Amino acid sequence: MPVEQWLEWTRGPLFRFALAVMVLGLIRLVVLNGINLISLVRHSYDKKMPVGVVARDTLRWLFPFTRVPASQRFFTLVSVAFHLCIIIVPIFLAGHILLWQRGLGLSWPAMHQTLADYMTLFAIATGLLLFGKRVSTHLTRSLSRVQDYLLPLIIVTTFASGYLAVHPAVNPAGYDATMLVHALSGDLVLILIPFSKLSHMLLLPISHLVSELGWHLVPEAGTRVARALGKEGEPV
Amino acid sequence: MATAMPADVRPAEQEQGEEQDIEPAVKRVPPQAGQQPNYSFYVEPFKLEERPRRFLEAFAAILRQSNYGPVLDTYCRVGAKCSVCTASCPVYQVTHDPSDIPCNRSELLLKVYRRYFTLAGNLKSRLFDYFRLTNEHINTLTESVWRCTACKRCKYSCPMGIDHALVTHLARWILAEIGIVPKALVVSVRQQLEGQTHNTSGIPVPALKDTCEFLEEELEEVYPGAGISFPFDVEGCEYVFFPAVSDYLMEADTLMGNAAMLHATGTSWTIGTGNFDGIDYGLFYSDAMWERIIKAQVAEVHRLGGKSMLIGECGHASRSAKEGMAYFIPPEDQVPVVNIMELAYEKFRAGQLILIPDAIEERTTYHDPCNIARKGWIIEQPRAILRHICQDFVEMEPHGCDNYCCGGGGGMVSIDEIREFRTLVGGKTKAEQIKATGAHYVVTPCANCKKQIDEVIKDHGLPQVRTGLHDLMLKAIVLPNGQEPILQEEED
Repeated sequence: MPVEQWLEWTRGPLFRFALAVMVLGLIRLVVLNGINLISLVRHSYDKKMPVGVVARDTLRWLFPFTRVPASQRFFTLVSVAFHLCIIIVPIFLAGHILLWQRGLGLSWPAMHQTLADYMTLFAIATGLLLFGKRVSTHLTRSLSRVQDYLLPLIIVTTFASGYLAVHPAVNPAGYDATMLVHALSGDLVLILIPFSKLSHMLLLPISHLVSELGWHLVPEAGTRVARALGKEGEPV
Repeated sequence: MATAMPADVRPAEQEQGEEQDIEPAVKRVPPQAGQQPNYSFYVEPFKLEERPRRFLEAFAAILRQSNYGPVLDTYCRVGAKCSVCTASCPVYQVTHDPSDIPCNRSELLLKVYRRYFTLAGNLKSRLFDYFRLTNEHINTLTESVWRCTACKRCKYSCPMGIDHALVTHLARWILAEIGIVPKALVVSVRQQLEGQTHNTSGIPVPALKDTCEFLEEELEEVYPGAGISFPFDVEGCEYVFFPAVSDYLMEADTLMGNAAMLHATGTSWTIGTGNFDGIDYGLFYSDAMWERIIKAQVAEVHRLGGKSMLIGECGHASRSAKEGMAYFIPPEDQVPVVNIMELAYEKFRAGQLILIPDAIEERTTYHDPCNIARKGWIIEQPRAILRHICQDFVEMEPHGCDNYCCGGGGGMVSIDEIREFRTLVGGKTKAEQIKATGAHYVVTPCANCKKQIDEVIKDHGLPQVRTGLHDLMLKAIVLPNGQEPILQEEED
């Protein structure tokens, strides 16, 4: 099969599959977490949802410029820039919107191509910085799992190949091959979202809410645990 | 007498060289087969057989009966391992040991959860030689969760909002169910729940009354003829008073300040002889104990027909009562929980508590107890009073809800055998903060912080004097008849 056909396949069926996996996977997470949240509230006396606190905490971390320890400020900025770029560019890139229009007839205003170029370069640079930080110190290596190393690399690959594809002057490889890498890695990111830490794009406020509700301890739980373990009435 | 606060049982203070090696006091000695593990703190003998199985049984029972399952579920998914929490943990900042990173500590328990209580873990264990719970893992977890002071700074530095203190809290409960609890804590709780005195320090009622009589005599010298008293078992009072019971042994000035403030503001209050201890170590190691203790305290409030629970100067007692009331007491039996500093501030603001301005000449600073400050509950109230009565009030940096723990939080302060770890590792940052203020007085309104900061000051050779808020207020309270305190010579 020639490269063009592979490319059509990754942009067509594979993309639809990846998008479906992402959407269904995120719906699954919403349902599971919804059930979790209901069970958290159901068993405790305090039924109030601390919506205000959670909104405040979530917003604080969407714009984390306060309460970040001085030693972490630089990488906090890097991280925020990285997040902004990788969210905004794929959604508002003119080329992507064209694909949506062709496929589903949906369309929305596109961002300026030059801005998209700069943000793409920024995403690559900040992604590499974050990856570099992770591998460079004993501390961050001790924390990291396989996905922590792979995800930034996959995302950087997507952005780098996308940039090269639309800038043939700096591209050492052919358009089709570059675009194939771009589409494949992009699809992979979509598929990985619900199954990796990327799910925090949806679970961030939920996680804050769970931390608040997690402290709504269940009355009589201690007695029932003792009963289950056959320790009822035992002295302290 | 089983006491939770054996303040003076330490041998003569150790020489602290300048080049103090801050090797953590914790020494992990691998136990021989069939031998009790050698933890860095004393633990009463527990069953060694089949510990992993019993740990998992306890874990399963707790997950089934409590709310922790959904929490662990979410934390397993969202952990981004971003390392921001490393900059906030006072223990990690001193040890630089990766096992002290809050995220790594939580991972010790999350790993067990993932392996034994999720489908993915189950599958993984069938496909690969995946993680298996061993005695060694339980030992590592034990040491790890008892190096955390549960100060919750990491929770507020986690972009995902992961509450590592909650995971630690749960891990300690599971360990407690298989018999692994620092002896100092369990002995206190046993005395409180099953002893004859119903308090952690084992103070019998006659001794309590003697102590209070003595304090009344002392108050008579400060306010001659005022007749400030410690009322016992008065029914139908507004407030039933629960200080940390160790105050009766060690914090005479705090209690005298409490009584003077309550007298000066005409507050109706009483001490219940059935239960007069605000301490609740259940907060530190077991929800089961937490619930039993708060229920006993609330029962005493109802026995006396009191309207509110008044907690003395104590951080964990305030939080365990306020939150425990909401979690464990049926709504129809709940009563408001008020910290004595909140009450003092209310009265001060309403003009019912008259304080001499600038009564304290020496430079004064304030240490926020984590349990009342972290979520922003009590931060400004004591400061408003201190700014009024002190000529030179200075802040530590950072302070308020971003404060550093004294190093004795989470029940650690009661464990005397880890004093070196507490003061030289957990309390190192606090010592530096205290030193930087150049203050004479370090005010801290918490029984745990008081003992810990005393030891931090001693072990770091600092010149500061630790005191409580009401200790200082005692030098500034004006009685309604205009009587001012006669200042006593400060004892060394």
